[in-house]
Amino acid sequence: MRIKIDHTRCTGCKLCEVACSLHHTESANPWRSRIRVFVSEEFCVPVIAGPYTEAACNSKGIVFVEGREVDECIVCRASCPAKSVFKEPDTAIPLKCDFCGEPPDPQCVRWCAADALSLVGE
Amino acid sequence: MFGWKGKILRIDLTRGNCSVEDLPYDLMRDYIGGRGAGAKILFDEIDPRIDPLGPDNKLIFATGPLTGSGVPSGGRFVAISKSPLTGAIANPNSGGYFGVNLKYAGYDILIIEGKSPEPVYISIFNDQVEIKPAGHLWGKWATETENTIRAETGGNGDAWGKDIMSVALIGPAGENLVKFASIMSDGGRALGRSGLGAVMGSKNLKSIVVKGSREVRVAHVEDFKKAVTDFLKEATENGQISQRAMWGTWILIGRAQKSRTLSTLNFKQTYFEEFIEYEDPAVIRDRIWVRDEGCFSCPFSCSKRSRVSDPAYPETAKGPEYETLALLGANCGIGDLYEICKANCLCNELGMDTITAGATISCAMEFFEKGYLTEKEIGYRLNFGNAEDTLELLKKTALRQDFGDLLAEGGYSVAGNYGHPELFMGVKKQGMPAWHPQGRSPGLETIGLQYATSNIGACHTKSVMPFHAKSSEIKPLVQWTKHYQDHVAVVDTGVLCWIIYHGPMWEDRLGPWLQLVTGIEYTQEELLLIGERIWNLERLFNLGAGLSAKDDSLPQRMLTEAPPEGRVVNLAQMLDEYYRIRGWDEKGIPKSKKLDQLGLIKEGTKVI
Repeated sequence: MRIKIDHTRCTGCKLCEVACSLHHTESANPWRSRIRVFVSEEFCVPVIAGPYTEAACNSKGIVFVEGREVDECIVCRASCPAKSVFKEPDTAIPLKCDFCGEPPDPQCVRWCAADALSLVGE
Repeated sequence: MFGWKGKILRIDLTRGNCSVEDLPYDLMRDYIGGRGAGAKILFDEIDPRIDPLGPDNKLIFATGPLTGSGVPSGGRFVAISKSPLTGAIANPNSGGYFGVNLKYAGYDILIIEGKSPEPVYISIFNDQVEIKPAGHLWGKWATETENTIRAETGGNGDAWGKDIMSVALIGPAGENLVKFASIMSDGGRALGRSGLGAVMGSKNLKSIVVKGSREVRVAHVEDFKKAVTDFLKEATENGQISQRAMWGTWILIGRAQKSRTLSTLNFKQTYFEEFIEYEDPAVIRDRIWVRDEGCFSCPFSCSKRSRVSDPAYPETAKGPEYETLALLGANCGIGDLYEICKANCLCNELGMDTITAGATISCAMEFFEKGYLTEKEIGYRLNFGNAEDTLELLKKTALRQDFGDLLAEGGYSVAGNYGHPELFMGVKKQGMPAWHPQGRSPGLETIGLQYATSNIGACHTKSVMPFHAKSSEIKPLVQWTKHYQDHVAVVDTGVLCWIIYHGPMWEDRLGPWLQLVTGIEYTQEELLLIGERIWNLERLFNLGAGLSAKDDSLPQRMLTEAPPEGRVVNLAQMLDEYYRIRGWDEKGIPKSKKLDQLGLIKEGTKVI
């Protein structure tokens, strides 16, 4: 089972960030959310926190989104020392998506009215 | 505390220091937050007679208890100050992310006072508040300023670090104290009306950048989560989300054209032939749409980003909204969508209110056509429809060059300087927005009453346009005007988006949202009373600033010349009724009985 992201539908409203933090921390705080939305002028990209990696990568890769060159860091799911998101703000403990428990019921998907997020697979 | 953070951040630019204060309990109880709390602080802390561009004026950014909580369409914030354009109170509000970031930084309200000796910008990250030099940013356009600041303050320097902050700024117009300069944020959001960009400029404050990692606590988390998902389901099923996301405010062109309420040719007409094709919003979307831009926690994403098809401009810009299309388009006789997009982009980049900019240019156009202003004086043959020179004049206005120096004072000054003040289409020196008060159907003239009585000068967002009113009689529509003035005032304390939260569908939702988030129960009557209190306090501020009943006026054209298919506005009759139901005397001054009912006796004594 996975969460499918259709970034072309994302409007950057960040309701998913609120949903996630409310579920995991009982308060609204995007910095404690396991999903973050990168907002640029021409597109938005929701990214879901994956596993922690101890070292920052050196690749500094470039990927293309909507025909635009963007820093690979934006679409990378890892929580890493060089990244400003996917960490508890006070302790820097890495955050990782847990699909909101068992059975999976991801709150970000529930709150996404733009249908940018959907739960797919078995 | 739930909802509120309970803190005010105060920054004194003269001394270069800051302090944190508790949000007073009385302020939360009597004014909730946002527009109400801002009005009360401004009223208490400044003499309403001060020079709005002097160091004594204060600039207040206010969020509300719902800001950042995740309430749908609850991510807005309000700026409150004394307007350099009108001399009255100003309270533009905006979406985007700035207010939310301020809240997450730990503050309900930010108060900026004094004047910096040199250009600076403010950086706020939780309790780290810094005042930084901004000499290298002075004179720069909005996008370049924002990108530079993001790079300078972007934490780790990674792409995310530059993204998770919000930048509010002024463009060259604010620096040059253009009377209708806006404060821009987040790549094109505007605190547009009443010229608060000039207030920032007068304080030598180029920008405020804010990010925050603190939480907004919600009183009833599980009930709140259910209420939000229920709301989203309802708004999806009834088509509101898909409609608004698809067409945004572009759909209003058709409504305005059909009801003959589109400001056209400096309000000489109510209908614009060259806009016929845009009555279908799909035509606009096909030509310029780039993406839908949701404000924080708003599923409706009515705002649009558009392509600017000219290499001399940034590739994309936010808007143009309906108001911009009307004022910089139809009202200036400009029907070419691509030219309007350029004008919109220029206003965003230079930091000017598109409504007053359009009203000012269109006023100069009518002066030119009537021969009251010559090509020599303007520097251009400024006929209606002259898009090319409109763009040049917008630039010159922001830089105060040549004739732009007079335009920068607003249409009121242009009209007054050249001997025909009656040709300025505005109220309290602020240009009228796009809805023409002389529409086809009876009852629409109450739009004129809304403009005349708005505390910030002509504005379309201080009450609700009477299109869905059940009656077309004057008396109930005057009551409608008052009701929605109070309603919008209290919605602006949340700070919710009044566009979503009015009308039978969701008008009564502010109370339930406040209860879920703050834990405090408010009845609809209590909320409307708070709205009325805010409206009257703003009125008292204006009276103290020297405004009076004579400023509750409309341009002569509205009162005496009926456009084709339109009607003249019988303002005097409506005003009598309005003052009566407001509990004001015939001079428009709140009677002591009303002030007593609203708990404003002390405030009344200060100015009456």
